[in-house]
Amino acid sequence: MKMKLWVLMAGFALCLAAPLAAHHSWTADYDGGKPVTVKGVVSKVEWTNPHTHFYVDVKNPDGTMKTWNFEMASTLALERAGWTRKTLPVGTEVTIGGFGGRAVTERAIASSITTAEGKALFVGKPGQ
Amino acid sequence: MKRLIFVSLTIVALTIALAAAQEPRVFRLGGANGPTTVPAEPNRPAPKLADGTIDLSGIWSGGGETEIGRLLKPGELDTILQPWAKKLMASRNDGMDPYQYCLPGGPLRLTGGFAWRFVQHPTVNAKYIFQLQEASAHTYRQIFTDGRKHPEDPSPTWLGHSIGWWEGPTLVVDTIGLNDRFWLDGSGIPHTERLHLIERWTRTNFTTLRREVTIEDPGAFTRPFTVTYTAKLGTPDSEIMEYICIENNQYGLAQGLQAPTPGETEK
Repeated sequence: MKMKLWVLMAGFALCLAAPLAAHHSWTADYDGGKPVTVKGVVSKVEWTNPHTHFYVDVKNPDGTMKTWNFEMASTLALERAGWTRKTLPVGTEVTIGGFGGRAVTERAIASSITTAEGKALFVGKPGQ
Repeated sequence: MKRLIFVSLTIVALTIALAAAQEPRVFRLGGANGPTTVPAEPNRPAPKLADGTIDLSGIWSGGGETEIGRLLKPGELDTILQPWAKKLMASRNDGMDPYQYCLPGGPLRLTGGFAWRFVQHPTVNAKYIFQLQEASAHTYRQIFTDGRKHPEDPSPTWLGHSIGWWEGPTLVVDTIGLNDRFWLDGSGIPHTERLHLIERWTRTNFTTLRREVTIEDPGAFTRPFTVTYTAKLGTPDSEIMEYICIENNQYGLAQGLQAPTPGETEK
């Protein structure tokens, strides 16, 4: 009986893993092994498709500035989740987490956004 | 010993699942874009038009996004692909998929992760049924339902020539005249201009649309085969929305490829 339970659990876990692993085309551009977190100020918003892009000016430790380009979900996915083009306007201070580009780290994909007030924003949801 | 293997398997699988769940939740060109769907109502029958025809109208999500290999038995795809097709598929990667560059994905992927709508003319003997999809650059597919035949040797196109008829509650759609420039699915299955699709669309209940597709292509496959997809009804307030894919497609730039489209607006 215990053995059967393990079989079921293993089967269930494999079923769970398969569909989640199915959508991997983002990994052509971005490196899942290169997590990034930056804090900065939104300097440009491209409310466009196939995906939106949020540009964030980040101060480097040496005092110089670097603009990061974060890819986000399409306008459709964001608007269906309640976003508008004004949800994250230029000038907003944010902390964005994500994964760096394979060739250009500062071209990253966002997986979390938190405003200076500590509010977490929706960044996309599989299967929506 | 056996138990140890099962425990190990479980841990490996759970680790994969957790790793996948923690990945960025942004999928390219589908997957996360569709409308919210209504809760399933398995006992509520499909609606009908005044003449008794099943009404397929509505906004739908899904019905074509799953990779074909996942809909077949393990290893079955290998027995279907002709050697050249198998070799070509093995050489493909996501960066080569025309769909990533905003070209249409052919009839199967028309109903992928984006919202799409069946538009059924509410008159008896309607000449057309349309599928409207918001992705690519607003794609429409026309299905002729007035009894016409396929043209002789049509010029190949991305969505082909489709004729449809009703068999009881099922809309049968027969498509030929497809070009070989799109991938059949996201896994890169090749095909030729001899591709022939026979779709059987059945609204099995109010909220569910079953799409059974028989795929044949004597130029690429060893035999015809059939896969089944399911589409779910969107909420009544959902609509198809504007999505111009070529507007700002930066695909490939982060991995070091050249700008693939004129839409690049890098700061």
